[in-house]
Amino acid sequence: MIASVITSLKGYLDNAKVSRELVLFAVLIMVTAVMASLSPYFLTLTNLLNTSRFFAEVGLIALGMTLIIITAGIDLSVGSALALVSVAVGFSFAAGLPLPLAILFGVFVGLAAGAFNSLFITQLELHPLVVTLGTLALFRGVAFGLSDADAVSDFPAWFDYFGQFFIGPIPGQLIVFIIAVVVVWLILARTRFGRYVYAIGNNEEAARFSGVPIRRVKAALYTGTGFLVALAAIIYTSRVSTARADAGTGLELDAIAAVVLGGASIYGGKGTIAGTVLGLLIIATLRNGLVLAGVSNTWQLFMLGVLLVAAVFFNEFFRKEE
Amino acid sequence: MSEAQASTSGNRAGSTGAAMRRWLLQPATPALVFLALLLVGFSVGTERFLSIGNLESILTSVAVLGLIAMAVNQVILAGEIDISTGSMMGLCAMIGGIVSTTYGGLLLPLLAAVVVGALAGALNGFLVTVGRVPAIIVTLGMLYALRGVILLITGGEWVSGIPGETRLLGLGTVLGVSVPLIILLALFGLLSLVSRDTIWGRNVYAVGGNRQAARLIGLPVNRTRFLTFVLVGVCVGLAAMVFVGRTGGVQTNAGEGLELQVIAAVVIGGTSIAGGRGSTLAALTGAVLIGTILNGMILIGVPGIWQDAVLGALILLAIAGDVLRRRVLGAEA
Repeated sequence: MIASVITSLKGYLDNAKVSRELVLFAVLIMVTAVMASLSPYFLTLTNLLNTSRFFAEVGLIALGMTLIIITAGIDLSVGSALALVSVAVGFSFAAGLPLPLAILFGVFVGLAAGAFNSLFITQLELHPLVVTLGTLALFRGVAFGLSDADAVSDFPAWFDYFGQFFIGPIPGQLIVFIIAVVVVWLILARTRFGRYVYAIGNNEEAARFSGVPIRRVKAALYTGTGFLVALAAIIYTSRVSTARADAGTGLELDAIAAVVLGGASIYGGKGTIAGTVLGLLIIATLRNGLVLAGVSNTWQLFMLGVLLVAAVFFNEFFRKEE
Repeated sequence: MSEAQASTSGNRAGSTGAAMRRWLLQPATPALVFLALLLVGFSVGTERFLSIGNLESILTSVAVLGLIAMAVNQVILAGEIDISTGSMMGLCAMIGGIVSTTYGGLLLPLLAAVVVGALAGALNGFLVTVGRVPAIIVTLGMLYALRGVILLITGGEWVSGIPGETRLLGLGTVLGVSVPLIILLALFGLLSLVSRDTIWGRNVYAVGGNRQAARLIGLPVNRTRFLTFVLVGVCVGLAAMVFVGRTGGVQTNAGEGLELQVIAAVVIGGTSIAGGRGSTLAALTGAVLIGTILNGMILIGVPGIWQDAVLGALILLAIAGDVLRRRVLGAEA
């Protein structure tokens, strides 16, 4: 009985011309409706625009993560790398480096962190999962060690500009995020590099024999994600006006959840930027609504954890047998 | 470098060299050598280090880590991963602690902790095998979800005042040897035997070495993988009661970050993260190595705040070293 329902549901979803993005959009509307009924404050323009100040940081990282997951890779170290960049900016500034140089140094640290990951992944051909699990501990440990678990927060007023400026009612980081979305979408959907990304995810062996420069593509992906992490870290540090080593704890969960919710297969070869953006909006809506409803952060992480497993379960369960 | 020399001389000099090369290819060898060097180094550096008392205290302090690492070792041998053990340990300790403060005794809290662990492990295993969700996603989700369950059960309250009879697993001694150490060695003996000499133990290696081939020759691939996750749950339950016995109370953040130490112990010990290669001895060696390093760091005055950085660096060194060792010794077919 149940088995036949599942089979027919599978068959329906396989044959239906309903695109995944449409389903996600419907889910987004549903979540929004539920949240609006929980809090009258939720569905106001001020709140929605305010929400975008938070999801821009996760969003920037999720963009890089989308490409990495399409190649069947993963990066668990993004939250720790964000903390490392934040500490690098804050503490090099506190040590007397002029702030513009400190920010440049932060970008360099982000790129270096990504390059460090890609070194292990491409040169030693180690699985990204273990490498980034190692750097998850390493980056945050170094951030804690260097900052001595202390915080820097006496930034000059103009630094607040990165995370706290508005154009009319629109927060600045929303614009930064939209630009990043367009750029990454163009790269993935319209360039040879984008085709390489899908080719590696579909069949790395075949891609190798077709002459795809696998190492260079992967190195560019992990290093590029390091750059996006640095960008997110600077916006984050500016938004909260504090550089601390515990910044971005659990951020990798948000980013990965957004990507797989958006339909990217963790086994590689499948995924779109549009899907990731929709997944991100659903998560941001959930989180913001839960905050307004007075739900604690641990509970939010609980729901994210369940959501993540459920999303992947449905992704893989309704995929055609290989 | 010395490995390269051993390899070339092995080709020329026949059986002694071959035996040497085989020994060098044992999963746990580099970690054992490193551990021995470290013990000598710390003993020269600090006078108190190489005393029987300090060695026993290191072994006792790594009991929780070691018990879980030897179980996760089986998961990794089967080609999967489990990073939910930190929260799972916290949950089992919390349940065991609550049962203990309500009903007292030793067996009932232990049973409760082991059952909860086994159920959590079974859920992991079910989602990985039947649900076809990658283990990293399942256990990452569970890491956060189980921590939420702890808060749901306790409402953020700590459990304290664990009665003495429950704390036996953490504090007791038998013939002058601490109970945690006895449990650790007993599980080591048991898992070594199971891993080497039972059908399930051999299946774990086969499934992790080449899952497609294992399926084609008719091995019960899913059942084998499922049981490794359940084993982790059972051992986490046991370890949780050792933990409760040693600390005498359970906080809501108990076990946070333990999952990383566990993975580090397994791969530093020499079990390959790709599956199919490794041993129970490797996981135990890795756990002792981590205990020694963390203990030694305190003795030579490195601030505890660098602990995560050291752990991360060790994981990377271990996995890179594994690849390089195999390249140098030409073990990759």
